[in-house]
Amino acid sequence: MSTVLEQIEQQIAKLSNKAVKKNTGTIRSVADGVAKIDGLSDVMYNEMVQFPGGATGLALNLETDEVGCVILGDTSQLKEGDEVFTTGKLLSVPVGKGLLGRAVDALGNPVDGKGPIEVKEYYPVERIAPGIIARKSVDQPLFTGIMAIDSMIPIGRGQRELIIGDRGTGKTTIAIDTIINQAKINKVGLASGDSSFRPVYSIYVAIGQKNSNIVRTISALEAAGALDYTIIVTAPAADNPANQYLAPYSGAAIGEWFMENGMDALIVYDDLSKHAVAYRQISLILKRPSGREAYPGDVFYLHSRLLERSARLDGKGSLTALPIIETLAGDVSAYIPTNVISITDGQIFLETDLFNQGIRPAVSVGLSVSRVGSAAQVKATKQVGGKLKGELAQFRELAAFAQFGSDLDAKTKAQLDRGSRIVELFKQPQFNPLPIELQVAVLFAMQQEFFNDVAVGDIVAASASLKDFLTTRKEALLTEIRTKAKLDDALEAALKAAIQEWKASYATAAGGAAAAAR
Amino acid sequence: MAAAPTKASQQLARQLFALSLVNGLVAPAQVEGVLAYLEKHPPAQPLQVLQAYRRLVARELAKGEIVVEHAGPIGEGILRGLEGAFTQKYKRQVTARGVHNASLIAGLRLRIGDDVYEASIANQLAQLSAA
Repeated sequence: MSTVLEQIEQQIAKLSNKAVKKNTGTIRSVADGVAKIDGLSDVMYNEMVQFPGGATGLALNLETDEVGCVILGDTSQLKEGDEVFTTGKLLSVPVGKGLLGRAVDALGNPVDGKGPIEVKEYYPVERIAPGIIARKSVDQPLFTGIMAIDSMIPIGRGQRELIIGDRGTGKTTIAIDTIINQAKINKVGLASGDSSFRPVYSIYVAIGQKNSNIVRTISALEAAGALDYTIIVTAPAADNPANQYLAPYSGAAIGEWFMENGMDALIVYDDLSKHAVAYRQISLILKRPSGREAYPGDVFYLHSRLLERSARLDGKGSLTALPIIETLAGDVSAYIPTNVISITDGQIFLETDLFNQGIRPAVSVGLSVSRVGSAAQVKATKQVGGKLKGELAQFRELAAFAQFGSDLDAKTKAQLDRGSRIVELFKQPQFNPLPIELQVAVLFAMQQEFFNDVAVGDIVAASASLKDFLTTRKEALLTEIRTKAKLDDALEAALKAAIQEWKASYATAAGGAAAAAR
Repeated sequence: MAAAPTKASQQLARQLFALSLVNGLVAPAQVEGVLAYLEKHPPAQPLQVLQAYRRLVARELAKGEIVVEHAGPIGEGILRGLEGAFTQKYKRQVTARGVHNASLIAGLRLRIGDDVYEASIANQLAQLSAA
């Protein structure tokens, strides 16, 4: 009934002769994507301002005599004296499942050439983060598919886990692997018909990246069949700094829609270092006072208000954030890295040295941490990998000492031997996330010392052979591990028997290969 | 192109503007006094100060005048009616001035300070074409 009346009222409003009030101003200057405007006495902070030629702006500086606006769009047609007017609206982006599989810009406009996006809802780009009452503690796992992370630095739904490291250490790869893994889990979960299954939708926000890199990322997701569960928000290096500044907030708004509607989402901000640089550029042009490294005083708030929007809500869904920060020469104590480290619930630190040694993913176990800890781990992973982090840390310490002397006691040698095997076991090719049941099985084999008689150099091949064996011949066992999510006595015995069966065939094959080589 | 006004020039212009007001309205005698003072004691950036001062005075004057753009004929009564209505709305004395603008096709466009009230056919057509 009310809908019918609303429709009639809308029709009346269209024909009504009532005057429309607009608050106007005139452009005093335009430079570097920022316009200084005279007038606009009624403008609100962060309000959208309409420029001639269809461009929109965002009122960021409200001063006594003028308003500073960042312009989102083409500035080439704007000139001094042009009239602009307020819209009474805050900047909003389209949200919903219609965006899945699409690439959009910071304002939610499609950029993938696949036609218009069907959306019914819009969310404001800037939103207050959920308060403490609405939140729930993080205790549901979000599997990255990367064994080193899922077993030692577990991530939970609603957590903010920073990925930090120098350029070219595999930060984006970890994020992409995680997105691919969510898609794989979604496919299996939705196909199982389990009504309690909660898929995780992913949002990848590319800030200040080369367009070629973004295309490569989209291709990788498409090749892995993950694009259907993913939304790409792009603000490439060629985009104006205003769009680069807004893109993460737009992505967060898109993710919030999933969270508010009882679904789980994962958002990757790639990367927040470039985001801070874009914000510094805008702030300097707006003549805001600059502080350390010329960043404005509110650069901490820039990231804290963004990352606080990721949460697990009571009775609703969750939004997990994986922000990425690029360091220079491994310096995690720089301004922006320390800011983001203090905001997030842990960090995955990637080391250039490890990467160059061929240890990939190059996760530094000592410097990486998840503040949610084992609360976000399934019991099976805790059973097989509970002590791994300690063992690896001890190995690194011993390995450093072992460099100084050749005479080592048997116990130290055994520890070093085991440590180097674990390091080999954690090596994983990119875009190849492992399901959690396979991770449990491989770690169980390590725990039960099935790899002890395999040469360190052959561990990668042996583990690949074990994964292959289990996937092709013990599918039911893997399904049982996945569904039970813990290893009881019966399951442990079955898994042990399966690994023994593999070991026998692997030893024969390895022996045959060695004989052939002779 | 003139150099951008410094903070000091803007501050001086604001101070001069404050001196030009009597009971919250721009007083011509005060403005004359300010101009005479500036001629006698030129500041560091005279052009920039005068431009900033002019902008502030123009903005204040615009708040006290309704510019009524109209396509068809408009009577004196309508202008006086608008003056009365807007004096009440903005809680300050305003005067109305008619300006003929054929591009509106029909209707009115009122401009007072930063506010624009659109009641013209041209605006409705523009909205229809944008929808």
